[in-house]
Amino acid sequence: MAGIYIYSEEQPVTEQLLTAGKTLANSLNEKINVIDFSEQDSESFIKKGADHVLCLKSDHPWPESYAQIIADILKEKDPTVVLIGGTLRGKTTASIIAAKLQTGLVNNAFAIEGSGSVIETKRIMYSGIAVCTEELCHGSIVTIEPRTFDAAQDSDHQGDTENIDIQPEAKTITVGNVCPIVHQDNDIATAEKLVCVGRGLSDQNDMKLAEELAEKLHAQICCTRSVAEDYHWLTTDKYVGLSGAKVKPNLYISMGVSGQVQHVAGMRDSKVIVAVDTNENAPIFAAADYGIVGDLHEIIPLLTKELG
Amino acid sequence: MKIIVCYKWVPDEQDIKIAADLKVDMSMAKWKISEYDKNAIEEAALQAENNAAEVTCLTFGTSKAKQSLKDALSRGPEKAYWVNDAKAENTDGFVTANILAAAIKKVGIPDLIFFGEGSEDSYGQQVGPRVAALLDIPALTFVTKTAVKDDAITTTRSIGNCTEDVTASFPAVVCMLPEINKPRIPSLKQVLKASKKPVEEIKLADLGLSDAELTVKNKVKSIQGFVMNRKNKLYQDGSSAEKVKALVSDLAKEGLA
Ligand SMILES: Cc1cc2nc3c(=O)[nH]c(=O)nc-3n(C[C@H](O)[C@H](O)[C@H](O)COP(=O)(O)OP(=O)(O)OC[C@H]3O[C@@H](n4cnc5c(N)ncnc54)[C@H](O)[C@@H]3O)c2cc1C
Repeated sequence: MAGIYIYSEEQPVTEQLLTAGKTLANSLNEKINVIDFSEQDSESFIKKGADHVLCLKSDHPWPESYAQIIADILKEKDPTVVLIGGTLRGKTTASIIAAKLQTGLVNNAFAIEGSGSVIETKRIMYSGIAVCTEELCHGSIVTIEPRTFDAAQDSDHQGDTENIDIQPEAKTITVGNVCPIVHQDNDIATAEKLVCVGRGLSDQNDMKLAEELAEKLHAQICCTRSVAEDYHWLTTDKYVGLSGAKVKPNLYISMGVSGQVQHVAGMRDSKVIVAVDTNENAPIFAAADYGIVGDLHEIIPLLTKELG
Repeated sequence: MKIIVCYKWVPDEQDIKIAADLKVDMSMAKWKISEYDKNAIEEAALQAENNAAEVTCLTFGTSKAKQSLKDALSRGPEKAYWVNDAKAENTDGFVTANILAAAIKKVGIPDLIFFGEGSEDSYGQQVGPRVAALLDIPALTFVTKTAVKDDAITTTRSIGNCTEDVTASFPAVVCMLPEINKPRIPSLKQVLKASKKPVEEIKLADLGLSDAELTVKNKVKSIQGFVMNRKNKLYQDGSSAEKVKALVSDLAKEGLA
């Protein structure tokens, strides 16, 4: 048996993985199978390119508890490759499945390509300084972060659905107090424009400069890890980088951000990057399209004014 | 309560250079305990101080990782286990997890096993939950808070669009996010004390793993410097106001102002 298997506990992410899956399916001449929990979604997945949807019927609320069941299914199906949505839950689930199946796992692939029977992935290493290209073993698992691909388009594609009744093992776990993270303002991960503040701000009053600029641009405000974790001027969901949010706005303007590799790893997919920093040797300028070497206290108000 | 905290000895990425042919040059790199793992060690040390936990640490590394032991021990653990093998030079999440799980079984499965959220060098983000799966115990990942009561741990997980409290009875694997604590800078006294703490070297051959379990799964074809393709235009002429004007005019051309 063979086939490409796709799973995410988040339906929009599955639709994005279908885009990657369809390209792979073409070059490898394989069928696409989606594993999901809701029968309602299966029609939409089929329209977007799935040949077969396996619908797991159960009401256990903790997505991670399905790892064993998905591993059992995959073991029987012997897939060529498994794509799992690289949410944080997804990466945990993928790791458990990979261990159960004793197979390889590439987390956070930003590219995947097939030719003949060979599949290659790319992911970053050393905090983003380097890119690692790997050739996958048969049956390897790959996680791909949300928004790496656009959702697949609807078509008149045909496929079928199979319902599977399952009973996830309870394990010795209880889950409670589930709180959605309410993003003050909007979610920076999907913002069109971002103003990013770093430790170059002298004190919290300087946040005003960022706010005024953001208001002019209709932008959201984000920050470096230091600003969130050491200064607490913004909440931790607002910091950008390797261990923070990955953003790709059309415009990203930084002020007083040095541009250390861990930060840049989270913003370098932005379309246009502008940096303002006093240190002309700051690494942020290597990551920027446009830069002004100068004091943010002087430059930012001028910029806000010039934007009219 | 017994805790094993796992850590990895990694090159400091600040010293990694990318050559003109995009080769990664680590010859100048100093090595250190992965920053994310320092958070895991700190959380274990806090459990030792506040809940009288018995903490040991475990690393799989080459002979070079010997240098890490004293640093690790000065951060709190009372004993270090070191699986010393050249295989650590060329490993992956699959092999590392097989080795760590086998080593943990050999020294005795503790109540809690702590990890960072990923390693600073390869950031594979899988060894912790893989070890949990191999030991058939729960994996609590992306944890920002821990609380131990009786024979169970309650963690707060921060998983993108929500937080949740997950309680697991012992034994369990817990992987920490960096925001959970501020790792200590060991005092001179702690460093001196560390030299007297025991280190047990474990040989790979003693772990009874098969060749298949010790063979990496996916084949690394290349590791190359990331190429940044940016305009890198710096406004150098004129007053600040003129520089800003030039910037806004360029942004307008991009349809952004
Ligand atoms: C394992 C690990 C993971 C990490 N993950 C992340 C991550 O996900 N995200 C993240 O952001 N960081 C991360 N970091 C931290 C990162 O390495 C940097 O320390 C951090 O990004 C620096 O933040 P900063 O640019 O605000 O501060 P600094 O590096 O201190 O830079 C401040 C900048 O402001 C400039 N400046 C000062 N005064 C002025 C002025 N008046 N006008 C204009 N400019 C001025 C300075 O020249 C300097 O360039 C991580 C670190 C580690 C070790």
